[in-house]
Formats: sequence, C-alpha cells, structure tokens
Amino acid sequence: MININAGETPTLWKRWLLNSERAPGKEAIVHWIGGEEPVRWTYKALINEAKKFSVMIKKMGIKKGEVCAIIIRHNPFFYPLYLGISRTGALPAVLAYPNPRLHPDKFRQGIEGMSQRSGLDYILTEKELEPLIRPLIEKKEGTIKNILFPLEWNLDEGYSEAQDDEIENEAGLITEAEPALLQHSSGTTGLQKPVVLSHKAILNHVSNYGRSINLSENDKIASWLPLYHDMGLIAAFHIPLAYGITSVQISPFEWVIAPVLLPEAITKEKATLCYLPNFAYNILAEKIDEDELSGMSLKTLRLAVNCSEPVRNESHNKFIERFGKYGLDSSALSACYAMAETTYAITQTEPGEPVKVIQVDRQALAGGIVKQASDSSIARTCVSSGKLIEGCEIKIVDEHREEVNSGFVGEIAVKSVSMFDGYRNYPEKTAEVVKDGWYFTGDYGFIFDDEFFIIGRKKDIIIVAGKNLYPEDIEDTVNQVEGVIPGRIIAFGEDDLSIGTELVSVVAETRFENEKDKNKLRLDILKAGMSIDVNIHKVYLTPPRWLIKSSAGKPSRKANKERLISGKDPLVWSR
Amino acid sequence: MVSDELKQVILKQLNLDEFEIDDDTVAPSVPGWDSLSHVNIIVAVEQHFKVKFKSMEVLKLKNVGDLQKLVDSKLAK
Repeated sequence: MININAGETPTLWKRWLLNSERAPGKEAIVHWIGGEEPVRWTYKALINEAKKFSVMIKKMGIKKGEVCAIIIRHNPFFYPLYLGISRTGALPAVLAYPNPRLHPDKFRQGIEGMSQRSGLDYILTEKELEPLIRPLIEKKEGTIKNILFPLEWNLDEGYSEAQDDEIENEAGLITEAEPALLQHSSGTTGLQKPVVLSHKAILNHVSNYGRSINLSENDKIASWLPLYHDMGLIAAFHIPLAYGITSVQISPFEWVIAPVLLPEAITKEKATLCYLPNFAYNILAEKIDEDELSGMSLKTLRLAVNCSEPVRNESHNKFIERFGKYGLDSSALSACYAMAETTYAITQTEPGEPVKVIQVDRQALAGGIVKQASDSSIARTCVSSGKLIEGCEIKIVDEHREEVNSGFVGEIAVKSVSMFDGYRNYPEKTAEVVKDGWYFTGDYGFIFDDEFFIIGRKKDIIIVAGKNLYPEDIEDTVNQVEGVIPGRIIAFGEDDLSIGTELVSVVAETRFENEKDKNKLRLDILKAGMSIDVNIHKVYLTPPRWLIKSSAGKPSRKANKERLISGKDPLVWSR
Repeated sequence: MVSDELKQVILKQLNLDEFEIDDDTVAPSVPGWDSLSHVNIIVAVEQHFKVKFKSMEVLKLKNVGDLQKLVDSKLAK
C-alpha cells in the first residue's frame, strides 16, 4: 500500500512532479480510443508537455487564481493542459462539451450563469465552438475575458526556458490552502453550484481514500467517466495521478455507444479498479454481445466501485452473473458514498469483502424506522455504501437538524478534512447547507452495524445515469410549450429497473382533449427537453386543475408523482 | 436512402408515430434518441433485420444513412 504524506508536497503540481521524478517512465495516462492504438503518457512526458502548456497559459495573460473553464472533447492533450493550468496557480474547471441537441441559447445561458456565479475568466475550448461562445466575450457586461484554443497552440514555438523557470519558481510559492480547482454540480442551466477545492483538501482526500481501498503501486484504474463529474475527476483522474499510478481514460461518448470498451481496456491494460454509476452495471451486463466478450478477462479487477446513483442489488447481481465467467470475482463488487462538497468519498465498503445487503421492513422504513424484515413484511433491499473513511464524520439528523438515535432514518450530515470552502460567490446557498462545519447533504439514510445505507433524498433532484438534473430546469422549459397551462407542470424521476437508473417524466395540465393534439403536445414537450439536453422519457397529460398543490401553492412533485404512479386515473393520458 | 422499414424500427423503439428521418439525420435531432436509448435502438435494428453489428462498426456511424448502409452491407453477405 502506498502512503501519501499530504504534507510532503503542498500542491498537486508538486505531487505530480515528485511522481515524475520517482518513476519517469511509468505510464500516467493511457488515452483510450475505440478501434485505435491508445496514446500513452508517461509521467515524464506528461509533465514536460504540461510545462509547455503552462508557458503558453502565462503568455496568454492568465493569472494565478483565475478560473479556466476547459470545454474539450476526449483528447490526449487535455491532460497536460489541465496540469499546465494547475502549475500556474490558475484553477482548471472542466465543463461538459455541449451535446448537439442543446439549443445554442441555452448553452450560452448556462455558461453565462456559471461565469457570473463561478467567475469563469477564460474558456479554453475547441475551434468548433468559437461561433457559439464568441458572443459571450463580446458582450459588454460579460465576465469572460477571452476564449482560447489550446489544441491549436504551437507549444514548441511558444516555449522559453526562462519563462518555464519563472513559472516553476512561482509554483513553489503556492500554498496548500490555496484553491486548486473548481468543479460544478450537475444541472442544465444556471443552477450549478461551483465547488472550490484546495490543494490540501484534495491531497488529504487522496491519502485517506487511498488507504480505504488499499491502493498500491500495482493498481491501475480504467474509467469512461466524464471529467466534469466528481467521480471521474477525483476518483479516476486526481487519485491515480497523485498516487503515481496509471489511469486508462475512455471517452464517455464512445463507451455509451460501445460498452465493450471498458472490459476491453480492463483486459488489455490489466486494470484493477473501476468506478461506475449504477446504470453502468446494467449496461455492461446486458448490452454487450457475447461474441464481443470472447477473450476478455476481468480477473485483474479487484474493485468495481458503485457510486453517484443509488446502489441497486439487482444491478450488482446482473453484473456478476454476466462477468463471473470472464474471471470477475464477486468480492470485487464495492460501493461508496461521495459528493463534490467533500472532494469525493465519505464512506467506502471494505475491499475484498462482500457488500452488505440487508432486507428491511418497507412500511417501517417509510415511517423513518429501520427494522429488519420479517416473514410477514414487505421487504426493501438496501445496499450498504460502506463504512466511514478516515478524516470523515457522519450524523443522521431529523428535520430540525438534531441527531437521531441509531435505528432511525434521517438526513445525512457530513464533516470531512477534505471539505469544500463553500460554494464560490454563493454565500446564501452555502449558509443553507453548511452549519457548524457540518454539510447537510439532502440525502436520506441510516446506519446499520456501523455501515451507511443511502435510501433517498430530501431534494427533488433526478439522477439519470449518474447525472443530477434539477426538476425546476425542466419545468421552466416545458412551461414555454404552447398548449401547456403555465405553471401547471411537474418533472420527476421514475425508476427504470431494466436500465438501473431514473428516467425523466413530466406531467402537465392542458386543455387539449383529442388524441391528435395530445400527441403533438407530447412531441413538443420532448423537443423542449431536447433544447436543454434532457431526454424526457414519459409525458403525462391531465385536464386543468388535476395537479395537487403543496402548502406553498405550487404543484407538489411528491404527491403528484405518487398519485400518478399508484393509480390509474382515466383522466390521465400518458405515453 | 433510409428505408421505411428501418425508419419504422427506429420510431417504434422511440415510441414516436411520425418524425422526419433521412440519411443525414443524427441521433441528437430525434426526440428520445439519447446515449441511453441508442444501445436499445441498435439492438432493435439487429433483431429486426436479423443481423449483428460489431461495436466498432456502431462507433463509426455518423448518421442514419450510415446505419442504413451498415444494415445493407450485412444483409448482402
């Protein structure tokens, strides 16, 4: 097992540098491309390229503390660019590359919202996005200083040794408490919350989390996770880089089309770890043709960590049933509970031990009591997210934020040595969720035998394939659709057991009565969802005044969802 | 040219009655055709035409016209 002394190197850059000095020829990143030879970065080559990028970044006038949003598709030069930004003391912030279905105005609104909130100073992107982003720079009241195209830079021409030395000297002055990166919570438009993490928070986390999974120099992580997501960025990118081990990076766009890329990369690179949101277990188990798995071996995989979505036992079972014959040991199944606000993980199941699965009485659970199921109960299967990792604390609290006794369900509040410093430029939001050093997660759960079980959430967030969507965003967009009664719309998530995730449903009141009008309205609602890159899976249409209001006078998501799912009301049209 | 048969398989999978689909149509322009449903559409096409695609063949598809060509090439074998 490797022990990282977080005090040994105060910053991420110094940590990466140390790793490149200790093992220059070791592979840092294997950039996977479907059907092609991967691009391999050794630690030495990665650091050298990052130095060249940092010289260019400095030349472009980017200063320490400024935020550099990176919007670049799967590209081998992403990594040295990211490291180069970090070296200068600027803050890298990885953003998702826009899906072509996203309306250009919505994309710009999202970037604008983020730039005002997060203070994005520069956008580093691909030339192709220039027409989309340039108008934001030209706006008088805009905060974005410039748009840059680092993949077009001639790094050798721009390089100067003197500047390189100067940057290295300045990098030595950056302290552990200074901000290292900025990541955003998911969302579609202006609701993303910017989380700033210090070098110390990340390095402490790397050290504590690494111990919880017995990380060693022989480990290798294979990942298709997007790097704008905390699981991709921290678990599959920062942790291996800080430990000096290898990560294999697969394009998320390619993986979802060709899921076989992950077992292929694990087999060829002998990867030992992977991180997956729950739906990926279903996709891997069910959407790969048997012929394509011929010759694959997952015997090297010692941990497949389920995180970012509620962990479902049936997904684990499907995964092991499919891949057991390809060498996957059932003890590799694992889970953790994590969030961007604490850098990443809070809990982790014991490596090599089976994940604890318990049957609890569903009715008692609905009343907030944890009671093991008896023969007469309707049981709910709950999967553990593991035990606390070092440096973290958890308490379960009631609606007054008072700690509840063991055996009761409540909101999960967490504390960590790797806690964020609050949402950037968002003190009111920070004050809402942080009190006396505790972060109130909005997730519901309980403790059983010292293990943590996450069973739901207070917030109405919809988690689709690991991506958090805010119902408000969807409702605001559908509200503009002609034929929908304004303000009489609800978006919510519905479980899809076959995919192992939630899918988005929308219910809207309308005065339309005939089938043709309703079908047209449904299509318009689907298109409205597309404009913000949200796939609406099911549309319910109801007559006026059907939706139940909450005490605040707005349609209640919870009550209406229950009413729709539980009963067959002939007044409700759905498709 | 995209055959009506292929078009109907796609529309049925997406639970749509009618939507303009031609050679140049790309997945993000069709309601419901996202990364999660893509894999189901490909499976539905394979089952309907009784053909099998390799992942790398699917990865190279840029639009529905490419998918039609892939189906045609498999059927010709």
